[in-house]
Amino acid sequence: MNLRRIKAVALKEWKETTRDRLFLLLAFLLPALWMLVFGYGLVLDVEDIPFAVLDQDHTAMSREYSYRFIQSRYFSYRGHVDDPRALDRLLTKTTIRAALIIPERFEEQLAAGEPVSVQTLLDGTFPLHADIAKGYVIAINQAFTQDLLVDYVSRTRGLAREQGRRIVQPLTVEVRYLYNEEVRSTWSMVPALVMFTLMVASPLLTALSVVREKETGSIYNIYSSTLSRGEFLAGKILPYAAISLVNVWVLWLMAVLVFHVPFKGSLLFFFVGSMLFVFCSAGIGLLVSLLVSTQMAALIITMVVAMLPTILFSGLLVPVSSLGRGAQLQAHFFPAMYYTNIVRGSFLKGVDARVLWLDMAALAVFAIGMGLIAYRLFTKRPNA
Amino acid sequence: MMGEIPLDGRRAARWWRRLAAMTQKEVLQLGRDLPLLVFLLYSFSLSVYISGVGITMQLRNAELLVHDGDHSLSSRELIHRFQPPYFRFKEEVANPREGLRQLDEGAAMVLLDIPPRFHEALAAGESTAVQLLVDTTNAPQGLSAASYGLRIAGQFGSEAGLGSLGLSAPYAAVPMVTSAHRVWFNPNQDETWFQSISHMLRMITVFAVLLPAVALVREKERGTVEQLLVSPLSPFQIMLSKVLAMTAVILICTAIAVYGVLRPLFHVPMKGSAWVFFLLTALHIFTTAGLGLVAATVTRNQAQVGMMTLFVVGPMMMLSGLNSPYESMPGWVQTVMAFSPLRYYIDITYGVLLKGAGFDVLWKPVVTMVLLGGGLFGFGMWRFRRQFE
Amino acid sequence: MDEAVITQESPIIRVSGFIKRYKRQVVVNGVDLTIRKGEIYGLIGPDGAGKSSLMKAIAGVLSYEGGMVEVFGTLIDSERAAERVKQRLGFLPQGLGLNLYPDLSVEENIDFFARLRLVPEQELTERKARLLGITRLEKFRDRPMRNLSGGMKQKLGLICTLIHEPELAILDEPTTGVDPVSRRDFWAILTEWQQAKGMTVLVSTAYMDEAVRFHRLSFLSRGRVLASGSPEEIQSLSPGLVITFESTPQLDAVGRLKTRYAQVETLGPSLHVFTPETDPSTALGEIRNTLSGLPVERVQIDEPELEDVVVSLLLQEQQNRIDGQAGSADPRSNASAPQSNGIAVEARELVRDFGAFRAVDRVSFVVKQGEIFGLLGANGAGKTTVIKMLTGILPPTGGDGWVAGEDMRRAAGAIKERIGYMSQAFSLYLDLTVIENIRLFAGIYGLDQRQTRWRMEWIIGMAGLTGYEADRTGRLPMGVRQRLALGCALVHEPRVLFLDEPTSGVDPIGRRRFWEMLARLAREDGVAILVTTHYMSEAEHCDRLGLMHAGRLVADGSPADLKRRLEQDMGPLLEIATDQPGRALAKLSASGMAQATLSETKIHVLSLDPGRDEARIRTVLTGCGIRVEAVRTRQPSLEDVFVSRVRALEEEAQNGAPA
Repeated sequence: MNLRRIKAVALKEWKETTRDRLFLLLAFLLPALWMLVFGYGLVLDVEDIPFAVLDQDHTAMSREYSYRFIQSRYFSYRGHVDDPRALDRLLTKTTIRAALIIPERFEEQLAAGEPVSVQTLLDGTFPLHADIAKGYVIAINQAFTQDLLVDYVSRTRGLAREQGRRIVQPLTVEVRYLYNEEVRSTWSMVPALVMFTLMVASPLLTALSVVREKETGSIYNIYSSTLSRGEFLAGKILPYAAISLVNVWVLWLMAVLVFHVPFKGSLLFFFVGSMLFVFCSAGIGLLVSLLVSTQMAALIITMVVAMLPTILFSGLLVPVSSLGRGAQLQAHFFPAMYYTNIVRGSFLKGVDARVLWLDMAALAVFAIGMGLIAYRLFTKRPNA
Repeated sequence: MMGEIPLDGRRAARWWRRLAAMTQKEVLQLGRDLPLLVFLLYSFSLSVYISGVGITMQLRNAELLVHDGDHSLSSRELIHRFQPPYFRFKEEVANPREGLRQLDEGAAMVLLDIPPRFHEALAAGESTAVQLLVDTTNAPQGLSAASYGLRIAGQFGSEAGLGSLGLSAPYAAVPMVTSAHRVWFNPNQDETWFQSISHMLRMITVFAVLLPAVALVREKERGTVEQLLVSPLSPFQIMLSKVLAMTAVILICTAIAVYGVLRPLFHVPMKGSAWVFFLLTALHIFTTAGLGLVAATVTRNQAQVGMMTLFVVGPMMMLSGLNSPYESMPGWVQTVMAFSPLRYYIDITYGVLLKGAGFDVLWKPVVTMVLLGGGLFGFGMWRFRRQFE
Repeated sequence: MDEAVITQESPIIRVSGFIKRYKRQVVVNGVDLTIRKGEIYGLIGPDGAGKSSLMKAIAGVLSYEGGMVEVFGTLIDSERAAERVKQRLGFLPQGLGLNLYPDLSVEENIDFFARLRLVPEQELTERKARLLGITRLEKFRDRPMRNLSGGMKQKLGLICTLIHEPELAILDEPTTGVDPVSRRDFWAILTEWQQAKGMTVLVSTAYMDEAVRFHRLSFLSRGRVLASGSPEEIQSLSPGLVITFESTPQLDAVGRLKTRYAQVETLGPSLHVFTPETDPSTALGEIRNTLSGLPVERVQIDEPELEDVVVSLLLQEQQNRIDGQAGSADPRSNASAPQSNGIAVEARELVRDFGAFRAVDRVSFVVKQGEIFGLLGANGAGKTTVIKMLTGILPPTGGDGWVAGEDMRRAAGAIKERIGYMSQAFSLYLDLTVIENIRLFAGIYGLDQRQTRWRMEWIIGMAGLTGYEADRTGRLPMGVRQRLALGCALVHEPRVLFLDEPTSGVDPIGRRRFWEMLARLAREDGVAILVTTHYMSEAEHCDRLGLMHAGRLVADGSPADLKRRLEQDMGPLLEIATDQPGRALAKLSASGMAQATLSETKIHVLSLDPGRDEARIRTVLTGCGIRVEAVRTRQPSLEDVFVSRVRALEEEAQNGAPA
């Protein structure tokens, strides 16, 4: 490894990149803009579920009951219908995603001290949303039932309402939210977005770096020179890693200043982790670039390889522990998951290497492993 | 735009022959790129399969730690109710501090802390409290875990309360509202369907943006576009041929995904007409390709077009409604995403496959998409023409 | 060529039994080669002969399947072995400036190559200054490489290859696509450097006139060495004479001559025949016999040039291989009567500005139907821009044009159906096969299946693509690609053909065939052809020429007109044969005859007073111990016209005073 030669390659690469104004602009603009768009726009809370009511009872009680749904911020009321078949249509057209069917004799039965079953129809195309909606329905029913029971118990046993309530629900649950005390979506989203944008944008920077030279023929300068494989690869990756490192700081600043996410951990730890990760992600692009022979293939493969596993297997949306076995395995073979732990840990938990050393080690293994594979793949004396 | 297609016999025949020649060329070129082909195939087969079997967005197996200060019948009963699929009991910790340390490490997500005298209090009809500590670094999942926990403990509490009154389940003479759910279109709430279909939609979209865009920029970069511009081909034909070719290729891939993975392996229904589905898929590809072509006309090399399309594709993937419901997104996102063809295509796909919807129900998204596609393609054409004048 | 000191130590390069295969296709099949220190060793041969593969293998950037390659005594059989010699060699791959970085400036390109080779900064500064000086690129130091002309790119490529002072330079077709003035420059620089540093050079070329600059050369064809030796030795392999004369009717004459002679070329009104006969009078007699009664006028008898010899060798080889298979397919014999002598292309005061830079400045000319019109000029003179405007790729800033009877500003659509275009940058699809490319263009021009089949056959025969049909275009040698590109431009039988440097990188046989076809298209089918070139030998084929310089059309006329006018303006041409042409040229330039140039091995000087100048030349040269073998006056060639006109204009521009 000769530093001067690495520098020569890196400097050339850097100059070419900076001469391409649009590319350079996008390289810096894209992560920052994504951060803004997703930070503000990517809301994962399920709210405002559109629903309709079919009230077959038409009583004060049934109105009171349905009112609980209409008032809830989780549901968005789209109207009453008179005919069950109308609900079919609304669900099929996706005008509504849930429907409440209040049976006849609703008030009568409850007043008589009998249980009533209320049917909800849910659109199951988005199972997660259906599941969450189901939870909301159950919670509203539980609350409504509790009020009924308190009434009922205090009336039948002649107790004060307060006492009745204690009897009906003797157990209170105190929930404490850790690390993100107000459970802000942005707090958990923004650090993960640092991972996401880096993981998607930095491979794309390196993806064309080698295949472009193969296409034009300037790769022969490299082949015919004394530059070693390692020097070439290092020189190729450094400028792009540098761009991504700048982006790390831009994203960090945005997270702290724009989104007011607390940074509780160690900056040094975060920086080292980010550096390793940047090399991993840029390395993915470089590997693709070495493997394919056209820029088109390099672009598309890199984009898909970088983006989809990151959306699915990185812990961005779904914790890795929730994944199926095959997907979990895939997640472990992809650096994004480890970095997600590092970013979220550094921002929200305030933990460092003492706790997350394993993730850090995994990233290091990835970076080195990818370097070795690239070294094996690149040959200065090809056969065609 | 369409006005340029000649209608009289011989000239029309030549016009179409030209278009066909160019379209065939695009397909051939793609066919020559072996790594890309292999990858394309992988994307629509194996990778669809993996996401189908592997991914659930619902809370699954949240690791549960328990600090049981009571070790009684009741405490064990409560712990026992925290069950898969939502929770997985990991271990009992000696003290809450040990539990917190594990939460720090990310080794567990929830810590349930049961106080001493838990059983006694419940039996005596006194009120008592348990603590649920939830890791909310992933806020939605944390909230989910908390709400399941609340539901389980609430149920447990009210049963205990009613039990102290001498009532026990099933409650025949207690006024209460119970929930009966009917989930439509996916009765067992199988996420396999959702995830595999979503993945296919993502793939269709990525390739629909990228393939024609890169193919167009490549012609500019290599200078081959000059030879085409000197020929009687119109810019419209040059652009259209790319879109047609890529649409055909992606449609074939979609068919592979549907008939090779979704139907036989996951038994995803095809309630509507397959023709309608593929026709509208073609429409989606066409419209999405328009976005790519616009990106291609403002860039001059493949590196630029890559970045530019990523710029478009990223938000499309994340905000069109595959990851979070469209309804709960902020208003401005909804406004911007009105320009994302994927947003309409999601409704269309689920509508046709799972709900059996036809044009009568889907006409709105279809019309929107046609307008959007026409607009994008027209704008791209205008830009493309202008570049060479 | 000055004799460099060739020492008899161990060879720099030793190649034996070299075999290179791509998949199943054998491209080099058993080549032996020995190159000594200090030699300029040339590889010549037709496209696809395997020159590039051989050079890459020697440079250690391509593995090979059989035989052995030894460089500096090291056996190159692995990447590791190749690495050991790379510091000592420099490699310039084929393709005009393709290995340079377009976005970097001239200086940045040089710096990159130097730093890659760890040239110390101080030496770099020094060498850079020297090389930029002798290549006259000094004032373009900060210009991005993409904005250089072809000639400048190639000079920059040479600098980048030489910046680490390699002991061995491997240059793959370094002058292909470069205009004659720049090519002369290039060779002067290379030779100077080679002699100063005692460098060994392995170089390939498609220009046979350059081959006389080599100390030794190998002639490759179809992956084998056909002949090796000094240029003289090669030349002596096929002795004979070249006889140039006029005869009418030309077509009849050609027909009769072809029955006997393998090499018959038409150059405008003249015919050019190579005969193996070495006695002038016998040779002429034979020609008269063959023509049986047709007149033979304006006879000129010359020694054959290397190009004639090479073509003759190749023809012999072909003959041996496929005894008598028709070389080129006959184009349509139904010879639809040439259309009236109508005007096919007219440019009137065409102007094109790029920002503040005026690339084309009020250019006017007319091309008639059935005429071949050549636009000559150095790289960057504005030829390509003119063509781009006429074909409708580039809107003009000012002026008008009519193509195929239509106004180019208004009826672009109609024009496009009637013209064929072949652009300078290869613009077919490299990932498609030959057949697929043809079929694509047939489709683009709206041919139906029957027409397509017929044209396909015609193109394959015409362009000599038999055997290449199913090959990917990217795999083809440059010359074959160019022929395919021409074929594609002709697929719809256009009335007007625009060819932008169509023969760059095409080997001599290919070029001759190519021009034969063009002539036939023009004569028999009445196609108007507008062609740009910087092979002056090709310009002779044109009916009329326009010479462009710095965006302006500075001369316009038939080749004979242009030559005559040059003689009127600057006097007749003296051709001087000496035993040391290189030194002689330097001495003459130093003694005030700045316009002296080297044409192959002879020196050319234009002189308004031949008698006095001849005496002066003899005195100067004999005074330095150079033997003057012969001085004679002869008609200037187009190359002489071009070089002297361009030089005069350049001087004018530099002095700022019009002459």
